[in-house]
Amino acid sequence: METKSKSMYDMSSSGTEIFTHGGVGYVPPSATKDDVQTCGTLSIVSYSFGKCIEWKPNDVSIETDGSEQEWAMVNTSKSPSASSSQGDANPQRWLSVRIPISEIKSYRVSNKKTKLLLVHKDRLTHTAFYFQFENADCFTKSLRSVVRTRRSRHDKHTYNIVQERVDPQMPHSFSDFNLLTDRKETVWKFVSDMRSKPYETTLSTFSKFSEYLLYKNPDERPSEEVARLFEGRPQQPQNPALDGSKSDGLSEYLIVERLKPRVLCPRGQPLSVTQWANAMDAEGRISDVKELKKIIFEGGVQDSIRYEVWKFLLGYFPWDSSTHERQELRQVKTEEYFRMKLQWKSMTPEQEARFSDFRDRKTLIEKDVNRTDRTLPFFEGDDNPNLGLLYDVLMTYVMYDFDLGYVQGMSDLLSPILSVMSNEVDAFWCFVGFMKRVFRNFDMDQSGMKKQLSQLHTLLSAVHPDLSHFLDEHDSGNMFFCFRWLLVWFKREFTHQEIMVLWEVMWTELPCSNFHLLVSVAILEREKDVLIENNYGFTEILKHVNDLSYKMNLHDVLATATAIFKQLESSPNLTVATRRVLGLSGGSSHNSSSSEDDSLSDGLACEMAALEKDCDQGDTTGVTPEK
Amino acid sequence: MAKSYDYLFKLLLIGDSGVGKTCVLFRFSEDAFNNTFISTIGIDFKIRTIELDGKKIKLQIWDTAGQERFRTITTAYYRGAMGIMLVYDITNEKSFDNIKNWIRNIEENATTDVEKMLLGNKCDATEKRVVSKEKGEQLAVEYGIKFMETSAKDSINVETAFFSIARDIKAKTEKKLEASNPPKGPGGNKVDLKDTSRTKTNWLSRCSIL
Repeated sequence: METKSKSMYDMSSSGTEIFTHGGVGYVPPSATKDDVQTCGTLSIVSYSFGKCIEWKPNDVSIETDGSEQEWAMVNTSKSPSASSSQGDANPQRWLSVRIPISEIKSYRVSNKKTKLLLVHKDRLTHTAFYFQFENADCFTKSLRSVVRTRRSRHDKHTYNIVQERVDPQMPHSFSDFNLLTDRKETVWKFVSDMRSKPYETTLSTFSKFSEYLLYKNPDERPSEEVARLFEGRPQQPQNPALDGSKSDGLSEYLIVERLKPRVLCPRGQPLSVTQWANAMDAEGRISDVKELKKIIFEGGVQDSIRYEVWKFLLGYFPWDSSTHERQELRQVKTEEYFRMKLQWKSMTPEQEARFSDFRDRKTLIEKDVNRTDRTLPFFEGDDNPNLGLLYDVLMTYVMYDFDLGYVQGMSDLLSPILSVMSNEVDAFWCFVGFMKRVFRNFDMDQSGMKKQLSQLHTLLSAVHPDLSHFLDEHDSGNMFFCFRWLLVWFKREFTHQEIMVLWEVMWTELPCSNFHLLVSVAILEREKDVLIENNYGFTEILKHVNDLSYKMNLHDVLATATAIFKQLESSPNLTVATRRVLGLSGGSSHNSSSSEDDSLSDGLACEMAALEKDCDQGDTTGVTPEK
Repeated sequence: MAKSYDYLFKLLLIGDSGVGKTCVLFRFSEDAFNNTFISTIGIDFKIRTIELDGKKIKLQIWDTAGQERFRTITTAYYRGAMGIMLVYDITNEKSFDNIKNWIRNIEENATTDVEKMLLGNKCDATEKRVVSKEKGEQLAVEYGIKFMETSAKDSINVETAFFSIARDIKAKTEKKLEASNPPKGPGGNKVDLKDTSRTKTNWLSRCSIL
């Protein structure tokens, strides 16, 4: 562009920064879908010639004083092709962008508040910026403090910029009173809409209210978080996406910008017999539990000692117990088991006839025992005695926790344990330990599952915001398609051998108790391109995910999930909600933050509630356990 | 893109746990029966394209987990269903009694004019029968829906049942089309018709609150 001579295009002219926002991506107008975005800061700067919106890439802003920068003038007085030609110049060399506010006709926030589209006065030039934390609002709020805007009549997400201070028709506009500093156009629209279409307006206002709860203004976030945002910029001088190592377009840029580079660690060897023996002292006590869990997390457990190690991992045996103490404990637990078993075994048919809650549980168990892992050698064939064990343990569990009783999926959770223990008493108590961790999966109202699905969405948004937005826009933001994964801890997705490894890894509760959600993110990440490129809808997403069953490599998935955790852990700009899901410090320390997180999950809960309606009528299997 | 079907119908299989929904579906989609089935967790669907009066009809049949507790999830997939198979087990009285709950569930979650059909499955197990055929017929009459006894195991009536419901939906769809040409009608059930560019069902968008 030839416009550098003009003062407004002169980089050296000094302006006053009115507002700066970090972590904003920009794609030149000419860029194709596959072009890598780069990240930078978006500012409103006041110059002598007027106010401008400026974007600078992070890597440039670090070492230059600005005067040598090339500026891509997105200027509508030129033809759109001229302005877009800048993008072709050198895709690796990111230019800064300056747009005089006087050139902007309107702006539109979309993609769940991550995309800000500026429409220039020629109506042909569009400039898009991408925000990380669904917080384009933060920027537009500042913009509105500089210019007056009015919501478009044609599109509720579009705001026209009204340069004049006062509408000639309304010398003293309602908005002039500044009653609602940042929502006046909303009020105006509400007033006029209420008259013309009261019903829709009321509904949409309610929806906006919930949206407001969902995505609170960034300035209502804890000040520390905002401060971090500012301090953290410029944070990532280099963009690994550009060095060609592993570029997957938009997302890579977003990840890289906000998150530290990912380091893949190789999986380790399974815990060996020797290591296990050496971990115990003369009395059989294990002191270095941490080290042991670390080995198990990294490589699982050797087949031959699994039946022993699992008893510790599942809390049946205390780590610090001696061999002698464990023998005693086992005796006590055996008696306790058979006492409970006798309770249902001794039930007469007449008693049963008058005990429908019991009968219902029994019927369900009978049905499921016959269709649980029947292809495994341990359960295969007619009249396999191990089916009897499966039945007995599940029935005894009903007596152990009658309120929870039996819910489908529980037989899937017991099956590998029983096949490893081969003994009903040990299997029972290990199963009890497993259920203590996952009983919320079987909540009557499914609130435990909904919470996890919502947390999974939170994590996915942190790691792959583009994918989470894609899912949102394809009716899949509720993550229901991952329901099976989480309900039975991927039991239906991996082979028996792999499930044993996956579960023992997750039972270590390393690196956090929500590792199963990171495993989910790791799997989704691998499918991201397929889902997005094929533009899969609600139905295809579910089908695709269901069909992944038995087609994944567990070790790759575990390595990726671990790497994602490390990446997130070391990234400074995680949202409070994300930190909380990962159990990282700072995730639960703010009082104010909890409300943000709650409103997020409340939003999903609200969505779920709308789907549920009254489907909780007359369930026969008991009440929600309160533990 | 070549047109692979004339109509796409979404069907749903619902009913108590263990009545044989997955087996019925497996019989229809793969023409097979397997004794070592696993319980359905969450939801899945299978596709079979059939031909009726020279029209290719793609049936997308959804299989759901039967246990009440999972209805929160499964009902999310009811939307857009054009036909629902209500399945009970003729050897299980309770599964038959629960059909009325399932009907209520449909009324609350599916489109009002959804085509319904009652299936009494496992009709091969005559020695274990506890629900008579007459009882099934009576219930179907009560709800004004079609009824059939099926056996996924012995392949009895499964094919007939799906063809029957597909025929009814097709008739309804074509009638609706004729009534409103060009196809229109807010609140009416949207049908993907001879759509060559998109193969996916475009569902009603999420509830407006989000």
